Amino acid sequence: MRSYIIKRLIYSVIIAWGIMTITFILLRLGPTSPVDRYILNIAARGQDVESVRQAIEARYGLDKPIIEQYFIYISNLLQGKWGWSFSTSQTVVDLIASHWVYSFQLILLATIFAIVLGVGLGMLAAVKQNTRIDYAASIFSFIGISIPGFWLGLMLIMVFAVYLGWFKTYYDTNYPIWSLENLKQLILPVLALGIGELAGYLRYTRSAMLDNLRKDFVTTARAKGLPEKTVIGKHVLRNAVLPLVTIIMFDLGSVVFGGAYLTEIVFGIPGLGQVSFNAIFANDYAVVVAVTLIGTFLVLFINLATDLIYTYLDPRIRYD
Amino acid sequence: MTDVKPGRSSKPIKPVTINRRLLDYYWERLSKNRLSLAGLGFIVFLSLVGIFGPIFAPDPQKTDFEIRNLPPLGCSIDESVYAINTGEFTTTVIQGSPDHPLGTDSKGRDMLAMLISGARISLLVGLLATGIAIFLGTFIGVLSAYSGGWVDNALMRFTDIMMTFPFFLLLVMIVFIFGPSLAIIVLVIGLTGWTGAARLIRSETLSIRTRDFITASRALGASDARIMFNHLIPNVSSLIIVMATLSIPGVIMAEAALSFIGLGDPMSTSWGTILNTGQHSLDTAWWVAVEPGIMLFLTVLSFNFFGDGLRDAFDPRSGI
Repeated sequence: MRSYIIKRLIYSVIIAWGIMTITFILLRLGPTSPVDRYILNIAARGQDVESVRQAIEARYGLDKPIIEQYFIYISNLLQGKWGWSFSTSQTVVDLIASHWVYSFQLILLATIFAIVLGVGLGMLAAVKQNTRIDYAASIFSFIGISIPGFWLGLMLIMVFAVYLGWFKTYYDTNYPIWSLENLKQLILPVLALGIGELAGYLRYTRSAMLDNLRKDFVTTARAKGLPEKTVIGKHVLRNAVLPLVTIIMFDLGSVVFGGAYLTEIVFGIPGLGQVSFNAIFANDYAVVVAVTLIGTFLVLFINLATDLIYTYLDPRIRYD
Repeated sequence: MTDVKPGRSSKPIKPVTINRRLLDYYWERLSKNRLSLAGLGFIVFLSLVGIFGPIFAPDPQKTDFEIRNLPPLGCSIDESVYAINTGEFTTTVIQGSPDHPLGTDSKGRDMLAMLISGARISLLVGLLATGIAIFLGTFIGVLSAYSGGWVDNALMRFTDIMMTFPFFLLLVMIVFIFGPSLAIIVLVIGLTGWTGAARLIRSETLSIRTRDFITASRALGASDARIMFNHLIPNVSSLIIVMATLSIPGVIMAEAALSFIGLGDPMSTSWGTILNTGQHSLDTAWWVAVEPGIMLFLTVLSFNFFGDGLRDAFDPRSGI
């Protein structure tokens, strides 16, 4: 068990190194350089472009050999020197520290919403297989998977905020995070982000439950005279949970982070997605890269956590 | 070939000997799934629109401020104009015009022409990027499984690293670094989206690799390349087709999302670009945000239905 954890940790470190290396290569391959921001200005003033270029490259360390740049890049990342956001005039770390909580609340609420309803409806659909409830659930999940979350967000704003006037059309940061008003204004964003997730979880829960419902141990459990509630809730669900945990954790990285990014932009929630979005237009390099890196490191951490959670969920797994 | 195996259905399943018959057999199974056929129908319709539509449609980028915010045919909106010299509101009812059956946006561009252009872009990006991703995924998956040893190890660790990146955040970063253009978007989605396919095909190939017919052909002196291309890849081809169909919707949504946040090709009109315009006029011109979203939703839904049908048709265990 302990050696397994150590092994996973080393493995995660290797992946983290890979992530940093790939972003470094991408940044160096990219056609843009910090010099570009100044070039036009300099040329317009009639100054010598070449000498200024050299000065800026020396300032950013771009004149050093590529290997040295690589080590500086990695050591800066490790020391938390993630760069300077010139469009907001603060360090990237400060910028992210003051905005992450908005993303976090959205992702947390949407995921709870999706897991509770998705797993619940999925179980219901599996138990009532081939009934109207099952068909309705499957149509709903197809629609939920296919509907683009950011468009759903726009439609929700249009119907419930613009025409019905039940909500504000924008996110108001004057409300404290822990307030009912804040919770109320998160209803539409949570729906926009959560319905896609929910549809996925519903589908996976249904098929995982159906896989297990056919197995012999279910027949045995019923033959023992256990009430149906215990059979479904304890025996079948317990066995269906493992693949579900994988899917939910995997979704967090691939679907939820991307979805949250767009949802924040649609609703004007000042989370990391919005920060990155603003940075794109300000051509604020360090911020765009930092948001992607943070998302990636979070996924790495979540994957590691999933591996460790498995030990508790499935005692059959042996780690050696 | 006289012995005919009785199938699950009352009709005996025909023996499959020639490719022609195999296709008939799959088609027969596919056509039992109505939703899947409907999906295929919509995809064919959309392809025709994408290929031939732009020939007949007016220029989607032509602006005309005389006819801005024209509602779709059959709809009407009230427009209030405040006259500064009399201080009165005059309300005029604006009717849709048959020249612009789906209305116009805030710059007077024809919605129908823009949707047609969007269909072309979406399908082009969807097919090309998926093509690259599936090709790479198949190649890496088969190579990895067939080689084993350190090649397998290195390729799979690289896949792990790429999988850790949240797909959309990675796209945003790379398209931001390299600049938005259709070619870059297709390349980036293709070069980052192969990981799932690689893993699936690797595991499938691993199970096929140990079968007797592979051993037999190796004993007959077949080269590695021959075994890979003539035996392994044809045996995972149905898997590849299903994966490709089911990954197109994700690609189409990713392209739309990129255009929506302003990282689309500025030279072309895609559904995401229209949605971006439409989100600012939800209260005055609802159709600009509604129409491209519906197209996007129907397209994604069709590919999901069709892909699901294909998977069932190819899977001999599914009870069709």
